[in-house]
Amino acid sequence: MSDLNDPTPPPLAVTPTDDEPPARVTIQTAALDPIYDVAIRTVTWGFRSGAALLAIGIIVSLVQREPLGTVAEPFDEVAPSVLNGEAAGIIDLAILWMVSTPVVTVVMMIVGFFRLGDRRYALFSLVALAVLGISIGLALRR
Amino acid sequence: MAAVLGSMVGLGGGVFLVPIFTLFFAVDQKLAIGASAVAVVTNSVVGSSVHLRGRFTNIRLAMLLQGITAGGATVGALMAVHANERMLNIVFGSALLYASFSMARRPQASLPTAAEGTPDPLQLGAVYRDPAARRLVSYVPHRLRFGLAISSLAGVVSGMLGVGGGVIQVPAMNLLMRVPIKAAAGTASFMVGITAVATALVFYSDGKINPQVVVPSMIGIFLGSQIGSRLTRRIDAQRLSWIFVVILLYLGSSLLLTSVGVTLPGQQ
Repeated sequence: MSDLNDPTPPPLAVTPTDDEPPARVTIQTAALDPIYDVAIRTVTWGFRSGAALLAIGIIVSLVQREPLGTVAEPFDEVAPSVLNGEAAGIIDLAILWMVSTPVVTVVMMIVGFFRLGDRRYALFSLVALAVLGISIGLALRR
Repeated sequence: MAAVLGSMVGLGGGVFLVPIFTLFFAVDQKLAIGASAVAVVTNSVVGSSVHLRGRFTNIRLAMLLQGITAGGATVGALMAVHANERMLNIVFGSALLYASFSMARRPQASLPTAAEGTPDPLQLGAVYRDPAARRLVSYVPHRLRFGLAISSLAGVVSGMLGVGGGVIQVPAMNLLMRVPIKAAAGTASFMVGITAVATALVFYSDGKINPQVVVPSMIGIFLGSQIGSRLTRRIDAQRLSWIFVVILLYLGSSLLLTSVGVTLPGQQ
């Protein structure tokens, strides 16, 4: 942990050629490919499904001539509103879906780090998730 | 526009969105912050896949800093829902000016390259291919204690102002931690989404998420961040830093002037 205690960064050395980074750093980055892949898949599908929900909500709002709500509904009112086909409920679901995507990404990364045997970064990710749990708890209590 | 700029410089767009909403559209400050937090999450979700594919995002560094950043954001958001608008304008304007001056005073360090023996006890070193410079860039982040301290501050600012915290983290990573600007932007772009979740949920719990403000922001973000994150790969890093400086200077000054009752032409 010497780096944590050293306020002055060591001078940046230069490798013999620009296109040859240190093997250690290259291997370290390549080892994380499975986690990069799962993070990319999660954010991509989170975005696609959130965008689809938002588009459906806007179309329903236009067809039913229903104005957008001025306050997002509490969690427990979103599902009944969606089941009733209300645009406001579908749009609230799209917003919540989008907001939950980074949370799901962190969960997937925790799993990924554990699978790689990288317990240190699985733990750091778990701490981040636990902190998010506070605001999730506040939102659920509304 | 906010999304294009935000995604390009790793800020998530909120740093541009809240001033634009309040200065040009007279939206209530707290509704603007709530909408911005959702927009920042959306921008991050949309844009970070591109940064992740390019390996600009250092996921280990992001996870190391994320816990403390999200904690700060929760505290900041709880403070913001009880703060008055003038105070938020002063804090926001000051944060923007700080970021602008810190980038202008010391232009981006030349591309760092990690040597074989560079100490890296937390295995944070990474490598990516910079398409603009047409070379592989390897680096090892330094001064992690500073990084953690700045991240907690970034979290509080993020929570108070509905920004992702990238406005503080990008310069800090680049200038203090010696992370190349594209990696700093890519890492921040990923982190701001997670940080803004904490803010968005606190504002949601307080009834400050207004779909009439959020939905247009999300649509703009869907379109803008796709463009922004692709432009990042093509634009020269130095030019990227100067775009950042000029826009933040304008918005920061505008918010400080608004807090003393002065409105610039075109603003409300």
